[in-house]
Amino acid sequence: CKKDLVKINQNPNASQNAQPDYLLTAATKATADTYWGTANNMDASLLFVQHWAKIQYTDPDRYIYTNTAFNELWSVGYAKSIVNLNQIIKLADAQANPNYKGVALVLRSWVFTLLTDNYGDIPYTQATNISTYLTPVYDKQKDVYFALLEDLKTAQAALSTTGPAIAGDVIYSNKIAQWKKFANSLRLRIALRIADREPDKAKQVLADIQAEGSGYISANSETAQLVYLASPNQNPISNLFDTRDDYRISKTVVDKLFALNDPRLPVYASKTQDATPNTYVGIPNGLLVGDASNLGFTKTSKPGTYFLAPGAPAVIISYAEVLFDRAEAAARGFTIENAADLYNQAVTASLKQYGIADATIATYVAQPSVQYDAANYKKSIGEQKWLALFGQGLEAFAEWRRLDYPQLQPAVAGTLSGKLPLRFIYPGTEQSLNGISYKAAVASQGADVLTTKLWFDVN
Amino acid sequence: QSVKISGVVTAKSDGQPLPGVSIGVKGTTTGTQTDFQGKFTIPANVNDILRISYIGFNPVEIPVNNSGEPLKIVLEEAPNSLNEVVVTALNISKDKKSLGYAVQGLKSRDISEAKETNLINALSGKIAGVNVTGSQGDMGSSRIIIRGETSVSGNNQPLFVVDGVIVDNSQFQGTNGSRDFANAISDLNSEDIESISVLKGPNAAALYGSRAAAGVILIKTKTGKGSKGAGITLNSNTTFATLKVFPDYQNEYGQGSNGKFSYVNGAGAGVNDGVDESWGPALDGRLIPQFFSNGQPAPFVAHPNNVRDFFKTGVTLNNGVSLAGSSDKFDYRLSYNNLNQTGVVPNSSQGKNSFLLNTTFRPNSKLTITTIANYIKDDADNLPGAYGRRATSTMLQFTWFGRQVDVNQLKNYRDANGNTFNWNNSYYSNPYFIAYENTVGQHKNRIIGSIELNYKIIEGLSANFRTGTDYYNDRRKIKIAYGTNGTPFGSYEEDAYTVNETNTEGRLQYTKKINKDFTFDGFVGGNISTILNEQNDQIAPKLAVAGLYTLSNSRDPLVSSNYYGKLKTYSYFASAQLGFRNYAFLNLTGRNDWSSTLPSSSLSYFYPSVNGSLILSEALDLKSNTLSYLKLRGGWSKVGKATTPYQLINTYNFTAPFGTNPQQSAASINLNPDLKPETTTSGEAGVEAGFFHDRVRLDLSVYNTNSVNQILNVDVSQTTGYSQKLINGGRINNKGLEVQLGLSPFKSKDFTWDVTVNYSRNKSKVISLDNEGKLQSYILGTNRTVQVLAAVGQPYGTLFGNAYTRDASGNIVIGANGTPVINPTKQYLGKYTPDWLGSINNSFTYKGVNLSFLVDARIGGSIYSNTNRTGTYTGVLASTLPGRGAANGGLSYYYPNNNTSAAAVQIAAGTSAPGGATVYDDGVIFKGVKADGTANTTILPAQSYYKGFTNVDEAFVYSASYVKLREVKLGYTFPSQWVKGLGLQSATVSLVGRNLWIIHKNVPNIDPETAFNTGNGQGLEDLTLPTVRNIGFNVNLKF
Repeated sequence: CKKDLVKINQNPNASQNAQPDYLLTAATKATADTYWGTANNMDASLLFVQHWAKIQYTDPDRYIYTNTAFNELWSVGYAKSIVNLNQIIKLADAQANPNYKGVALVLRSWVFTLLTDNYGDIPYTQATNISTYLTPVYDKQKDVYFALLEDLKTAQAALSTTGPAIAGDVIYSNKIAQWKKFANSLRLRIALRIADREPDKAKQVLADIQAEGSGYISANSETAQLVYLASPNQNPISNLFDTRDDYRISKTVVDKLFALNDPRLPVYASKTQDATPNTYVGIPNGLLVGDASNLGFTKTSKPGTYFLAPGAPAVIISYAEVLFDRAEAAARGFTIENAADLYNQAVTASLKQYGIADATIATYVAQPSVQYDAANYKKSIGEQKWLALFGQGLEAFAEWRRLDYPQLQPAVAGTLSGKLPLRFIYPGTEQSLNGISYKAAVASQGADVLTTKLWFDVN
Repeated sequence: QSVKISGVVTAKSDGQPLPGVSIGVKGTTTGTQTDFQGKFTIPANVNDILRISYIGFNPVEIPVNNSGEPLKIVLEEAPNSLNEVVVTALNISKDKKSLGYAVQGLKSRDISEAKETNLINALSGKIAGVNVTGSQGDMGSSRIIIRGETSVSGNNQPLFVVDGVIVDNSQFQGTNGSRDFANAISDLNSEDIESISVLKGPNAAALYGSRAAAGVILIKTKTGKGSKGAGITLNSNTTFATLKVFPDYQNEYGQGSNGKFSYVNGAGAGVNDGVDESWGPALDGRLIPQFFSNGQPAPFVAHPNNVRDFFKTGVTLNNGVSLAGSSDKFDYRLSYNNLNQTGVVPNSSQGKNSFLLNTTFRPNSKLTITTIANYIKDDADNLPGAYGRRATSTMLQFTWFGRQVDVNQLKNYRDANGNTFNWNNSYYSNPYFIAYENTVGQHKNRIIGSIELNYKIIEGLSANFRTGTDYYNDRRKIKIAYGTNGTPFGSYEEDAYTVNETNTEGRLQYTKKINKDFTFDGFVGGNISTILNEQNDQIAPKLAVAGLYTLSNSRDPLVSSNYYGKLKTYSYFASAQLGFRNYAFLNLTGRNDWSSTLPSSSLSYFYPSVNGSLILSEALDLKSNTLSYLKLRGGWSKVGKATTPYQLINTYNFTAPFGTNPQQSAASINLNPDLKPETTTSGEAGVEAGFFHDRVRLDLSVYNTNSVNQILNVDVSQTTGYSQKLINGGRINNKGLEVQLGLSPFKSKDFTWDVTVNYSRNKSKVISLDNEGKLQSYILGTNRTVQVLAAVGQPYGTLFGNAYTRDASGNIVIGANGTPVINPTKQYLGKYTPDWLGSINNSFTYKGVNLSFLVDARIGGSIYSNTNRTGTYTGVLASTLPGRGAANGGLSYYYPNNNTSAAAVQIAAGTSAPGGATVYDDGVIFKGVKADGTANTTILPAQSYYKGFTNVDEAFVYSASYVKLREVKLGYTFPSQWVKGLGLQSATVSLVGRNLWIIHKNVPNIDPETAFNTGNGQGLEDLTLPTVRNIGFNVNLKF
């Protein structure tokens, strides 16, 4: 009878075996959805960096959050993304396919970067190893970034264009050469993230990349991004705007685009529904609910239709960003490249990303207000990068904190006593489920509030 | 000297013969039963004692003489008797005095006169130690817990057994309908129930082994035994439901924000016309364009009953007929019952048709065959929308509401062109549109059946075989109409659940008188149980065309999921009772289960129990006029719990493909290949005593229950890669006290007064969650930022959430912006489990008139109320009036240079502001201290003030205590001589009221007794439907 009973308990509803290609698609999609979705992008980082603003239910735009508000990046990051990527790595080792391992390491490093960029200290060493660590301790942000640089180096070594093929890659359609460039571009991003704290390490990383020779993302066609499909696999922003009308473009970014005669304005912003003198109208961030809606739903601009399309991409690292990073590395003396040149190429790449004509670009780049200022590279790069990262809320938020440009004013009716948020709050569940580790992290990093400055953010 | 004794047994109340009465020779195993005419014969010796006993009657003992005259025995009905025959585990009837644990029962009339559509509700307040949480609104689920929660994460609802057949009481919540679907036991027709016996814990229920930890509710349905006359009974019950608890809304300010409002399209084109809050202008009749006025200014006035007007009077019709008959060879009862309920929410209704056939056939003196078939058909065209979901909720829109809106103007929700309209178009659809078009239907077919054979092999030895099954199919159709705000293409979902449990059981029973002093009564048996559970959900997420609800009418790929679960348990069990001189008893039971859900190394496990009773009043001959009965009892038992299927090996789930790429990811639960069964050990002791010829009856129990090795799906930090991990660990302790007190203060031929008092308290403590002591809390439920936890060192079910920051003297700390600073560390805010439960039922009988009323109290425990929180945020509640305008005590302030983004400055009322700045009179200062310890002086507009503390969960946690007038019944039984002329055997009419009045409660705007669902995450209220009071009448005619 024992045999009979054991047989009855064979689960007919799910598979006990995983397949690396299917895991890869699922982990990529899950991460992109949260990276580009409501909780982290639209309701948080896009508001912090004043790309977008809220016209309805304005609490988030006034920095009123609960400790459940930032659950999603944490839960998806660890329990939907990293856990499955680790399984791919395990399967890759078992099946002797180092390319799966490389790809999974690159994606995992991106997810860990998102986590530490936003929360600060996070579990890394003891993360997603449930049989050994039920309550993982938090690693310091510095240690996380350093470990990620090592992981990416390992990935770079594992990825081989002559190695076994992979499947299920919805970012680069299984092209390993592209993944090698993605890995390096991510190393470049992290190197600069720590540049104010650990310039020597940053420089060393760039030298390693140079020596290894696989290069960076080097064209708009090589941008790391997930291109969404039609419903039900549509872009999260498109999905939200199907049924909601809570967001407008921020007045801060519209003012800047107007000031620069920026041809990206009609891409980033929609025309107001009712005709208005300026055609494109942003709303100030963080108004009281009545004040915001009084500006008129039909008299203010939604984000541009490019971003509202079902098939719009979720951009992970753009060619323009890589160029901005290389310009900054040069300006900091980490490399011997020409900073001004790279900066111009970066601005150009950003405009080309949105299909703007060469002549228009030339006029734009030639403007004194756009030109590179070697005396204050942080301002030049900071402001143009902020524009180039429009829509990529989390990366824009990290770079704004690091470069301190553009200089943003807090939300009108903000609730942080004249400050802007500098991080996410840890999920409330960590207090109840991982209390001891949580308390140690808070003791080390500072109070678990929006205004606590993270390690990488020096000024 | 051996003689043959014969006689007839009749009931004292109506003089009719009683069939099925047990006649035994005391101290021997000789016994028989009366036939359908109440007659019996039995061999005995002169000077033997005959013991005549029957369920619900006082037993009598008669010495045998050799007069040869037939005995005429009259049994007296004994409600609340201390020494009656009760039904125990596995449906075995026993003398209550021989039991070493508490059992409490209810009779048919306790539940069938004042009917509830959910049977569970009818139990509340009637049994000590039983905690019932009633349905929200007038339909839905109810939760029942006996002696506290013994399992941290598992099902804490008792096992339900109907006529020996284990029946299902699952609640399938579904995900998309936002309906509170009733738990499955509500299918039973209360008119068919003869008695309910509650086995209150592991001690009483140990023979059910792995399913006994939460107690057992044994239900016995009516049979044809002893039916008289034509055997036809008609019963008709009509009740009316009206709203009882309802939020107290303010009627001074209408829709809008910052005191401003003007309607253009209800979606933000006007002034605040997309705002679904009531911080707008005063409702003083000023002229403002509104949703119904086509742009023309219309008087802005209050409609105080605007929400109440939406609801209707609910009507429940419950009509049944039964036909019963009996002879010496057979008896039968066939009943049909029809329930038809229209709810208080417009367009909500449910109906039920049930048939029950119960037959017993006695082909010869040795064999008895009993068959039972119960067919139930539930049909609900639309259940009321509960919970706070945009397309389907009832109360969501009334909590985010404009207080000036007259819902009567929304009744015709489509205009001449077929377009819908509403007072708000940015978030909501018209509430009538939601009620009439976004419907959720439920259709269920259920059959419960059993066959039982009883064969008397030789005197004292009998064999019993029973196989029974409970099968149902529950189909739901969830429609969201085209054009619903938020779901513009609508959607259509079909969910199907199939549940089947089959139990086959065999038993050999042996009864023997060992010698003059000792008797033995025991059995051995085995059981095979198979439980199947299948689920199939399909959704067309966006309809292609409006108004057609089929799965193929879809513009997106269908979303489908299915689940198949099967579990099987083999069991052997044995029970032995040793009696000594009929006043001391020792009971032993043992059961071994083999469960398919556990790993092969640990799927077999054994559960023993031991208990005993001693009737001191007989043993020591203490009987006096003061003390009529005294019994001590006590016992110890160990029971346990297996788990649900497929909890051993980790799996990977598939989700819909991304383009042509299939997606697979690790399940969110980390399973456990080394699972062991949960174990609950329980000790119990009690005293039963009767005083003054049993005019005072006391039954007192104390118990201590420890549950260890809990199978816990613990929530773990998601940094582990999983949301939950299945572990064996944890220890939870429940201690409690139960008192039942029966009083008969007055008793004469025509008038009696009976009082029943129930009191119970249960104290729980979570001692640990895992063996390593790493886990500190387990999340039972969540609403917004409030969690309900099983937290180590705390009682079960603590509320955990955001609290105020307080200084050393307890003052609330206020930030620079004038609102309270939330404590960054979450705090314990209370627990949902009550401290004690109590009830008093008074019953008066004068000739044919019977009046009874039940008052029921649940004291202690807390509840987090989202109705209060949201209603404070949106300004719809009357509690948001203080400070809104000078008339409500508002302070005066201005903004320097009229810059409303700057801080407000307070000035004396009636003075003008510098620079002619506008002066406002709705200022409020939060009572508390600034960071430096000085009193807060920051003045805020009322709107900012009230919103300013809505994220402080502590502010919306209330005591959940209540005292309710639960039930009032006034019945009249027509004198039999009157009705006989009409061909009737009896006729009874009664006026009944249920949930009439909340005598006391602490939480405003809601009923503190609201089941969130039947799970363990209670203590959270989320925009629940108002609760109702039921008043009706019942007519019962017997032919």
